[in-house]
Amino acid sequence: MAEMIIEPIEKYGLSKKDRPKILFSKIGIVGCGSVGQGLAITASKHGIEVIFLELNAELIQHSLDEIKKQLDEEINHWGLTPSEKTAILSRIKGTVKYEDFSDCELVIEAIKSTTRESSLDVRKQVFKNIEKQVTRECIIATNSSTLVVTEMSSELEYNDRCVSLHISSTAPGATVVEVARGLHTSKESYDKVMKFVKLIDKIAIPVIESPGLISVRLFVVLLNEACEVLMEGVSSMECIDNTMRACFNMPLGPFEFADKVGLDKILRWMENLFGEFGISRYVASPMIKKLVRANRLGRATGIGFYTYDQNGKKVIESACCEE
Amino acid sequence: MNILVLNCGSSSIKYQLLNIDNKTVLAKGIVEKVGLKGSFLKNENQNGDKVKLEGEVIDHQIGIEYILGVLISKEHGCLGSVKEIDAVGHRMVHGGERFQDSCLITEETIRDFKACIPLAPLHNPANLKGLLAMQHLLPDVPQVAVFDTAFHQTMPDYAYMYAIPYSLYKKYGIRRYGFHGWSHYYVARRACQILKMDMNNSKIITAHLGNGASITAILNGKSVDTSMGLTPVEGLIMGTRTGDMDLGVLTFIMEKEELNLQIANTLVNKHSGMLGITGVSSDMREIETAAETGNERAILGLKMYQYRVKKYIGAYAAAMGGVDLLIFTGGIGENDPVTREETCKGLEYMGIEFDPQKNAGVRSKEVLLSKESSKVKVMTIPTNEELIIVEHTHRIITG
Repeated sequence: MAEMIIEPIEKYGLSKKDRPKILFSKIGIVGCGSVGQGLAITASKHGIEVIFLELNAELIQHSLDEIKKQLDEEINHWGLTPSEKTAILSRIKGTVKYEDFSDCELVIEAIKSTTRESSLDVRKQVFKNIEKQVTRECIIATNSSTLVVTEMSSELEYNDRCVSLHISSTAPGATVVEVARGLHTSKESYDKVMKFVKLIDKIAIPVIESPGLISVRLFVVLLNEACEVLMEGVSSMECIDNTMRACFNMPLGPFEFADKVGLDKILRWMENLFGEFGISRYVASPMIKKLVRANRLGRATGIGFYTYDQNGKKVIESACCEE
Repeated sequence: MNILVLNCGSSSIKYQLLNIDNKTVLAKGIVEKVGLKGSFLKNENQNGDKVKLEGEVIDHQIGIEYILGVLISKEHGCLGSVKEIDAVGHRMVHGGERFQDSCLITEETIRDFKACIPLAPLHNPANLKGLLAMQHLLPDVPQVAVFDTAFHQTMPDYAYMYAIPYSLYKKYGIRRYGFHGWSHYYVARRACQILKMDMNNSKIITAHLGNGASITAILNGKSVDTSMGLTPVEGLIMGTRTGDMDLGVLTFIMEKEELNLQIANTLVNKHSGMLGITGVSSDMREIETAAETGNERAILGLKMYQYRVKKYIGAYAAAMGGVDLLIFTGGIGENDPVTREETCKGLEYMGIEFDPQKNAGVRSKEVLLSKESSKVKVMTIPTNEELIIVEHTHRIITG
């Protein structure tokens, strides 16, 4: 049999017109904690190459290991096949250099931060670092829900390319993404991001830039009220969660959800929201503050509102109801 | 007359260019990874020369543009210009109850086909994309849709209905439709030609055993029952699909393993079948190799696979009041002597006298596998659905 010849395909087009490039064949992610990992997996599942930036080789390896763990978990629960896992992993790479973002069409900032002020400054710097390396067309996005993108992008040369792209980290299977447009965001950039969201098979929820968007803003108030109900002794934590699950068809009650998200993260959300709106309903319940101070952050630390065993399963007696 | 056959999947486009007058394949090939990184086109011409063209293929339209580009190219082509393509035949997966036969593509048929999308949400949209792209590129060339489900539209209602509330059938069209239709038809017709049998006066069972597998009862040339249903999960055990199963099993697993719908779908479509039972592979060759070395689960898997096919042969013989001809096709049916032999073992009581000597080593050939004295003839026939698509396209445009 004749040997296979290999040639570039371009010269076989019917017409010589310029062909549109494949949109979002590669994206970048800054910070590969739980949010970044989720993003990387989602994008790669849809055939997109992902490069993520972490501070050092050790953290890169850690992120890759976590990603593998999550995929294995999916295989164990029948959601994925081993060959799909191999394909997904082959598209995800780590780096320590911003230079590696040069051919990305979208770079998303997903760093973990501690306080509002430092977080904003760090993120502003991240945006600047990204802009130095990418093309003019590249979209720069943040996954932050409580910091506004207009502020984060204020020091960029071209801030019309910045949007906020909030993919819920609380439910990896969630089908919606909140896409917020900043003051400077151009229609072109916004439309492009909407296409990206469609590409990863999610529904884009258009939002006008506002701290907390929809999901975070509504959830923190619910959690605060749940803490109030608990502190007033109206009912137990389990009963509150049970009621909310059953009556509103929620997969998790407010306390269970808070533990899953991480109480430190929730506290930061609330501080940001209060900083922005100055309204008392966003002031975190003392109960949340107490737990965070004791480093009882939820599932991640094995204890939060509830206590968790090594497999992350809730143990019946809870941290809060002991007294 | 030259007819181009297209088979558009979600990220691939298979094509074949045939000359209907002398029944020769002028070129064939595939575009893979449409819309993804690393896309390419592989083309093979009449002389068997192969070329692989690498580069971005952003969507089906551009993929088809490149196919046409290659077909008319000096280097690898076989046509002087695209004007030499007289018609295009599209393989369409699911035509529901609306499409009983192949048809010329018009605005009306496109509208009706769109209504069939919910029946095959993964396959039909890709078929439609290819069809619209082709219309755009060759607006003056007639196009014909040939449906995988159409051959089975002759099934009687008592064979295609499910025993679920009738209102659900009316509301969503939930019933058995069957797939691989033109493969079953082609091998049955071909075997009748070879054996000089009258297809219109015959009882034939065709087993299409490939990665997906289905078996059909063909009475007097018409499909009267088939093992696949609304979706391709029903019936025979497949590479990674369960085939027939107690529905209670699925709801039981969903509850115990806390599975959502999408994951349950992956479980029965991708983790089950031969892969799930054997833990070895979904590939029959690898499973047989493992069984030879004594792998117990591989041995079990093979037994289950053969038993299921055998059960269906018995069932369809009963449904038709006997059988004259049994045919194996598809990747496994054409290339795996072991499966053919084991499936036919013990069926002497119904007149099947299988000849292991004739069967040994037969791969991708038209061979009679039963003994001279056998009341029921057994054959293996390599399938050729493309030929049927070409014939239908030709019939419809010459009307």
